Formats: sequence, structure tokens, C-alpha cells
Amino acid sequence: MARWGMTIDLDRCTGCGNCMAACHQENNLAAVGAAETQENRAFHWLRVLREVSGEEANLEVTYKPVLCVQCDNPPCVRVCPVHATYRNEEGIVGQVYSRCIGCRYCMAACPYNAKVFNWYEPEWPGDLQRKANPDVSLRPKGVVEKCTFCHHRVIRAREQARAEEREIRDGEVTTACAESCPAQAIVFGDLDDPDSRVSRLARSPRAYRPHADLGTRPKVVYLAQQE
Amino acid sequence: MAESGTRTPGWIYALQVASVAVMWVFVLGISGWILHLNRLSQRLHDVPSATVAIPIVAIPVFLTGAAVLTYVFVGLQRGARAAGDESGEAR
Amino acid sequence: MSDEASHETRPAHGLDAVDVSDLLRSVERPGSGFRVATTLLLLVLLGAWVIFGRQLLYGLGVTGLNQPVAWGFYIVNFVIFIGISHAGTLISAILRLSNAEWRRPITRMAEVITVVVLGIGGFHPVLDLGRPDRMLNIFSAGRLQSPLLWDVSAITAYFMASTVYLYIPLIPDIALLRDRGARPQWLYKFMAWGWRDTPRQRKVLERAVSILMVLVIPIAVSVHTVISYIFAMTLQPGWHSTIFGPYFVVGAIFSGIAALMMVMIVLRKVFRLERYLKQIHFDNLSKLLLIMSLFWFYFTFSEFLTAFFGNEPSEMRVFFYKFSGPYAPWFWGMVVCNFLIPVVVLSFRRLRTISGIFIASTAVVIGMWLERLNIVVPSLANPRLPYPSGFYVPSLVEWAMFVGGIATFMLGFVLFARFFPLISVWELQEGREQAVRETMERVESYLPDPRPRES
Repeated sequence: MARWGMTIDLDRCTGCGNCMAACHQENNLAAVGAAETQENRAFHWLRVLREVSGEEANLEVTYKPVLCVQCDNPPCVRVCPVHATYRNEEGIVGQVYSRCIGCRYCMAACPYNAKVFNWYEPEWPGDLQRKANPDVSLRPKGVVEKCTFCHHRVIRAREQARAEEREIRDGEVTTACAESCPAQAIVFGDLDDPDSRVSRLARSPRAYRPHADLGTRPKVVYLAQQE
Repeated sequence: MAESGTRTPGWIYALQVASVAVMWVFVLGISGWILHLNRLSQRLHDVPSATVAIPIVAIPVFLTGAAVLTYVFVGLQRGARAAGDESGEAR
Repeated sequence: MSDEASHETRPAHGLDAVDVSDLLRSVERPGSGFRVATTLLLLVLLGAWVIFGRQLLYGLGVTGLNQPVAWGFYIVNFVIFIGISHAGTLISAILRLSNAEWRRPITRMAEVITVVVLGIGGFHPVLDLGRPDRMLNIFSAGRLQSPLLWDVSAITAYFMASTVYLYIPLIPDIALLRDRGARPQWLYKFMAWGWRDTPRQRKVLERAVSILMVLVIPIAVSVHTVISYIFAMTLQPGWHSTIFGPYFVVGAIFSGIAALMMVMIVLRKVFRLERYLKQIHFDNLSKLLLIMSLFWFYFTFSEFLTAFFGNEPSEMRVFFYKFSGPYAPWFWGMVVCNFLIPVVVLSFRRLRTISGIFIASTAVVIGMWLERLNIVVPSLANPRLPYPSGFYVPSLVEWAMFVGGIATFMLGFVLFARFFPLISVWELQEGREQAVRETMERVESYLPDPRPRES
């Protein structure tokens, strides 16, 4: 059984935002519009955060794509009152949209603020709804949703592999964000396979896991030059 | 204090019994629900050990509440009947 | 506790027939005020629900909640209302248990507060749901591992116990109303459960009350502990704290006593109960309030000092958000309302008048509400990652439901006063008939035994 994980090389990231756009398209994220964004209700499963440091003369800007880190010990799953969020056997933390009652306890409990809420009936303006990805369900209003590590792609690859009676090959599955990254900063794969690219990168001395001190055991690993 | 006006008609007595019964339905319903959730967590292997504590504490509390209410109801009825039989006993 | 009120055995103290009809006036001769008050409150409530209809229609977007601040007024009000419910049953149980004789005219009101407010508070999480239509999922697929479900069971248990605890000591008064021919007769006949004041019935009643008061105290403590666990069980800065359980319980009792005194003062004015709710009752309760204020300060100080001294970056962000950041007015307002005002007003006998106590109690209720706001919002507004801080401005819908909650509270009291006596008549009577003698015997039992006579 695979244990899916991801590395994000912050030294490569240019902050172009392609991953955000690809994620929106792949996962049928609703468009909330400018007014709601002003209200702090911007709707992303993956966000590129900007960190500004340094003196006024020579500012240094670094970018950091942030998504659900798919904890192996997820605080959100522990608090859900109705089994609506769960960690599956491959380590992906999922959300059952049809069972979620919208109490938002998981959002309050998530140290990474990875979950988003449908404050209104979601909208897909123009012909976006017609062009929706058929592999990903559309979410109703009033439920919490989150990054699924493009779980539908994993399922498709697994079925393909099963039909051909083999294991999933390293690099066969990748997420929309990793696929779209022009700097190839994002790598997706099986962390339990010691030879996979993602495992090798995760063992790099540049690797760190966000807030590993909380004991959440995240499976998104950042790579950055340590100072 | 025993006056003829305090005689309770039959339908009111039935209502009183029904209200105590409703209390029991409520309490047993809650207990059954808690046990159902406990079983659910065992079936899903979702930290069943953690869900044992609540039934142990909550169910006796609910049962005690209903039991006290029933005790009062039965006690008051018996007291009223005894006072009715030998009306000299009431102060 | 002192029993100065009933210390003297002059027959002038206690109840006579005039007093009884005085206490039952609100039931027997309600007047038009009740109808006016009920109508007004129902209108307010209706307005609140109409405004709330927008949320049902469009979703939670009509509130001021947003991305990092996922919880707001609904949860704050949930915590404060449940906290106030501790006034009641807990205080009345403690006073009964400790044989505090001055409790007699107070307990009933305290118990009514509990039942009414618990109903309101317990409903708030439902308002907060994004999908209230799926609420029944809690019954079919609930997770007892979630602190929210601990809440559901604890609040249900407390509601059941406190309703029974309100009802059982009410039975003799209902029977009194029944015998005096109050209307609707069938209601009093139904609720009196055949009470005829025989010694045997009295024994049953007293035994039931003493079981319940022992049962109710741990339940009440557990309820607010568990509510604090909603926050403390997460890893969030400012929430993940071991003292949250006792801190919330202390705050709950604190706000509960304050709310109880506010209610007592208002009802005393409205129903002219000055002869029954005397200065001594307020004096004793305000001593309790003063102690709780000091407790509250001690807990707050410990909580914030550990956060400050630890100097952990994410904790510090929350700390400074409250201490000197956007929430500074609410934070310092809370300190003034919960500590400065009550301590100053209640420490000096000259300020401890009825109006002084009313001001202090109101300040405490507001201050405790601010404390809940200070707990819920700043921690959510300051996530760990390098996110910008969030903001939260409650919307009209949230304010409407807040007002609606307060209107429901008042409505509960109006309706209760219309049908049942607000002061326990039989317990006051018992106070006159037995308690004076019992208290004297008790006091004698505290004194050194008489020296054996030398023969």
C-alpha cells in the first residue's frame, strides 16, 4: 500500500501561481468573486503565500505554496463529530461532502488552515460548470472541503495498474499542481517506497516538515536552503 | 389539606403516567444512541477505547435522573393514597 | 454562611396568608403587563427569526465569518449562555447542600435561569451549522470521540437533571396553586402529581431533592469543562491549555452569579419582592461574586503569564493581538468589567447598594461575554503559518440572533412567572416552621459541649 506524499522545493518556486490555477481547474473549485475575496473568503485548496523579510533596502521575497499537508496524525479527523473527515489507508485525508454538517470544527482545529468552507451556494460562472472535471464531485453550500492530493488521479492510476496486473510505477501518478509547475518544484509520489523520487528528496538535508513539532506527521515536505 | 377538590380525574392520572413514560423513552433513547455510537466506533476501528468513557458516565446519570423522577411520582401517589385511606394520618 | 436573616425568632418573620397571596400574585392576578411583555418579546423573537431566514436561504455567508475566523458570535454566545446556566442549579445545589438558610427565596430563580438559558445555549451550535438539515447525522453517524459530542451528551444530561431539579421542589407550590383554584386547573392538577402534603410525601420529596443536588453538581462542572475542551483539545495557540477546564468553570459560575443577581434585582422591582429578597441576600451573593472575581483574575493571570513567559512565536501573536493589537479594547474592557468594577464596587459596604450591585453584575456579565469573545476570535484570527491576521465583524444576522437569545431568556422568565411562583413558597414556610429551630440546634452543635456537672 502506498503512502502518498509530496515535496515542494521552495528554492525552485518562482511564485508564478500556476499550481493554484491548475488546482482550481482540476478540482472544480467554485469562483467566489472579488467581493467575497475582500471578505477573506478566497477559496483555494492550494495557496501561494508570500513571505517578506530583510531590510527596507534589500527586501527578500520568498514564496511558499501551502496546501493540506495530509497529516498521518490529523487533528481535523479527531474532532469531526460525524465521521465526515477521515484518513484513508493510503494516508490521504478526505472529506465526505454529503455527510459534513458544516460545524467547521475541523477548520478551527487544523494548524495549517488547509480547509475551506462553502459560505454560499457555490457558483461556476460562464461555462465553467459545463467544463467541470467529471472525476471530481461538485460541492454543495455549507460544507467544508479540502485538498485530496488529486485522489481521483490516484484511483485512475491504481485501476490502470490493476488491469495491467502490476504495481503503480513511480511518477505514474502526479497531482495537478505538480504537473503544472514550470519550475518542477513539486514532486508527488509514494513515501513508503524508498527508491521513489519523492522519498529521496524527502531525505535531503534541505527537507523540513511544516510544524513537525506539533506531532501531526505531515506528508508534505518542504525543501529549502537552511541558514 | 386533603379536600375533595384535589381528587385527580382519570385522564389526568393517565397523562401523569404518560409523562413519566416519556421521560423513560427519552432516557432510554439517549442511552441507546450512545451505545449505538460506541458500537459504530468499534466497527470502524475509530479509537473505540476513547468512546467507552462516555457511556460509563452518561448512561448511569440519565438513568438516575429518570429513576428519581419515577421514585417521586410513585412515592407521591402512594402517599396520597395512604392519606386518602386513613385520612386521620395526614396532619 | 451566616444566617443572620432568620436568627431572631420573633414571629414577625416568615410567611402569613397575606404573604402567600403576595407571592402568588403574578399567577393569580397577572394583569395586562404579562400580555404586553409576551407580545413584545415574541415580536422581537419573530424579527430575529425572520432575519435569520436569510442564513437558511443563502448559507453562512450572510454572517461575518470568514476564512481563518470560522467561528464567531454563535460559538461565543453558546459558551456564555451555557456559562450563565451554571448560576442556577449549581449555586442552588451548593447552597442547599451547605444548608445556607438564606438560599430559600433564591433557589427557584436560579433554577429557572438554568433551564431557560441551557435551552437557548444548547441551540446555538445548531445555528452555527452550515447544513442544519443534516443535523440528524449526529444521531446516525456521530463520533463520541469528538469533543462536540461530549458537549451534546453533557448538555443533555445537565438539561435533564436541572429540569427535574427545578420541577421536583416546585411540586408543593403547584399543589398550593391547585388548591387555591388557580387556572388552568387541569395544568396544576396534572403537574401537582397528587401532592397532599403528607409527611410521607414530604419525605419522598426531600430525599429526591437531596439525591438530585448531589447529582447536579458534578454534571454542572462537567458541562463547562467539556465546553472548554472544544477549544483545549485542538492544538491552536491560546486554546491548547490544561487550565481551560477549571478556567471555564470558574468563569461560568462567575457569570452565573452575576446574571442571577441581575435577574433578582429586576424581578424584585417588577414584582415588588423587596420583603423577600432582602439586602442580606444580595450581600451574601455579592461576597460570592467578589470571591469568583478574584478567582477569575487568578486564572486569567496564570493563563496569560505562562503564554507570555514561554514566548512561543505563535502564542505571542495571539497574546499581542489581545494585549495591544486589534482586540486590545475588548481585552482591557474585559479586565475592567470582570475585575476592576466588581472588586471596587463590592469591596466597600458603601458602594454595595442594590444599584451598585446591579452595576457590578451587569459589568461582570458583559465582561464574561468579552472574555468568551477574546478566547474564540483571536486564536482563530492568528494562524500559525505566515498568513496575514484575519478579521471578524459580526453581521446583522448574528446580532439579530444575539438579541433573539436575550429575548428568549426574558420570555422564559415572563412565562414562568405567569404560571408558577418565582419564590418557593413552601420552602419559605418551612424556613419559618423548622429552619429557625434547626439552625439554632446546629449552631449549638458547633459550640463546645457543656462541661459535665461536677457532682
